[in-house]
Amino acid sequence: MTESALHAAAGGTDRSPRVRFWRDLSFWGLLPSWLLMGLALILPIAIIAAVSLATRGAHGGFTWDFNLAGYRQILFNEGWTGELEFTPQYLLIVARTFALAGATTLICLVFAVPVAYFISRQPPGRKAALVYLVTLPFWVSMILRVYAWMIILGKDGTLPRFLETLGLPAGMSFMFNDGATLTAMVYTAMPLMVLPVFASIEKLDGTLIEASHDLYGNRWVTLRRVILPLTAPGLVAGAILVFVPALGAVLEPSLMGGGKQMMMGTLIQLQFGGGRNWPFGAAIAMTLMALVLVFLLVMALRAARREDVR
Amino acid sequence: MKRYLAATALALCLATAARAEGELNIYAWAESISPALIEKFSKENDVKVNVDSFTSNEDLLTKLQAGSSGYDIATPSQHFLRVMIDEGLIENFGASKLQAYQNIEERWRNQWWDETQDFSIPLAYGTAGFVVNTAEYKGPTDSFKYFFEPEGELKGKIAMLSYPDEVIGAAQLYLGVPFCSEDQAEMKKVLDLLMAQKPSVAVYSSDNIASRLASGEVSAHFWWDGDSLKARVAGSPVSLAMTKEGLVGWMDSLAIPKGAPNRDNAVKFIEFISTVENATEQMNFYAHSSPMKVMQEKVVYTKDKAPELYPDVPITFSRTCSAAAQDLVTRVWTQLLQ
Repeated sequence: MTESALHAAAGGTDRSPRVRFWRDLSFWGLLPSWLLMGLALILPIAIIAAVSLATRGAHGGFTWDFNLAGYRQILFNEGWTGELEFTPQYLLIVARTFALAGATTLICLVFAVPVAYFISRQPPGRKAALVYLVTLPFWVSMILRVYAWMIILGKDGTLPRFLETLGLPAGMSFMFNDGATLTAMVYTAMPLMVLPVFASIEKLDGTLIEASHDLYGNRWVTLRRVILPLTAPGLVAGAILVFVPALGAVLEPSLMGGGKQMMMGTLIQLQFGGGRNWPFGAAIAMTLMALVLVFLLVMALRAARREDVR
Repeated sequence: MKRYLAATALALCLATAARAEGELNIYAWAESISPALIEKFSKENDVKVNVDSFTSNEDLLTKLQAGSSGYDIATPSQHFLRVMIDEGLIENFGASKLQAYQNIEERWRNQWWDETQDFSIPLAYGTAGFVVNTAEYKGPTDSFKYFFEPEGELKGKIAMLSYPDEVIGAAQLYLGVPFCSEDQAEMKKVLDLLMAQKPSVAVYSSDNIASRLASGEVSAHFWWDGDSLKARVAGSPVSLAMTKEGLVGWMDSLAIPKGAPNRDNAVKFIEFISTVENATEQMNFYAHSSPMKVMQEKVVYTKDKAPELYPDVPITFSRTCSAAAQDLVTRVWTQLLQ
């Protein structure tokens, strides 16, 4: 390809057949990605959006009569006396879900930063081995990993047995509470946090830290004003990778938490199953997606502003 | 050499897959259909049989409603079968004209969930109630009181199913509220009962019930009669509570989803599993009662060996609720777990 053809293909003012050939080719070359986006992303979301506006069938399913009942139900429901009243119960579930996802992200951050820092300061061979070890859990199915935690924390499990040998009362169980849910969520999400944080810490120029110390910056100042700002992109990427899937968690709350308190994931599941109210389930799913979008937008805007300041 | 072996193995796989007369995709309750029977059917008819499993009627209903499930046979319980027939999700395969129909015990023919018996052939029936671990709990079990209003050692050691179906029914039996009640005040009573029970509940789950109960992780679990029987026979210290308020009844039937790709094989299989000999084998595997004619002398779970299957307390079968009643059930469940 000549340079002029390339230029024309990019700019697209030249009408010669040769240019059209390259433009057509780029269309066909990009087609798979458009198809993938359309069929795997846009179409399913469009279907969910349409169902969220449909009318529920008596026993699940839906009919194509459009209304906003699904969304209304998030805030207003018929009370036990029959009239429509404000119901905070679903907002409570949303708040709980965000709190749990936030806590997961925070705990992951606190553990991942030192781990990533430690790995990044190892000689190359050991570094590669450690990174490999971090990704190792991904080789095992998630449901098995959660079950492993049930065996560790459950009655006669590894942890209660260990505590027993220390003289604590026998027969303890740490299962079926928010702590157990959080433990499993932090565990499953941890590699997603460690890897991006490691990637950005590894690129950190050690001389900048030395420079900070030379300029009488103590350790705290160095961490806060040099290390954290320079590794922020990795931290943000890790936080997003952990926070967003945590919002939709179903497995951990139902297996580890005992399914006693609903999360948005389990609430959506109930509406498509026992609740037999698909439009409501779709409406919650859309709401969850909108909240995630807002969260990502805020993150992106803040990152952009930081770029501007610099 | 290795490569030739691998290639041969691959070719063999492809050859056998291509040679099979066809396929049969079954969607049934977890571990509910005898693997020996499936193998026998597969060999006799040269059909590749795939079995997927579900753990709640709701899962099955949702899958069929979503369309093109690809299944040829499903096994809904009576109250869901009625919904599926009414919603047009089930094929009319003229079941009443099959030999299998003649093999149904007369008292189980043409029930309200399929009056013409054109859509289904029953497979198994039984009850749902609560089962206790007798190593952990020695107290009385003759009433749902001990399950819904637990005191002492059962506190915090109770497990419920993850779906309202049957659990709400048991609560209604205890309170004397009719199934499928559309009365808000009555359903509020059900909610109040379950809310008061909640602090004593360790887990709401329909999976892994056997190990959770046998290990003593919980001491009382909402469960089914045959499962409790199977666990007891295998050596677990479990016992089904014969509650004086009664037990919740269910009957699962073989049905063919609309648009099943291998309808002929499905009918063939339904005929196959319904013969007197095979129904006996199926009952001995599943450990739930059989609504079919069986060879009495070959039945393993007889009255003295399996009291779980022959309760002397009243049994009330779950009914198909109206949309309004179903809404109340969902509202109770959502408020309970909010």
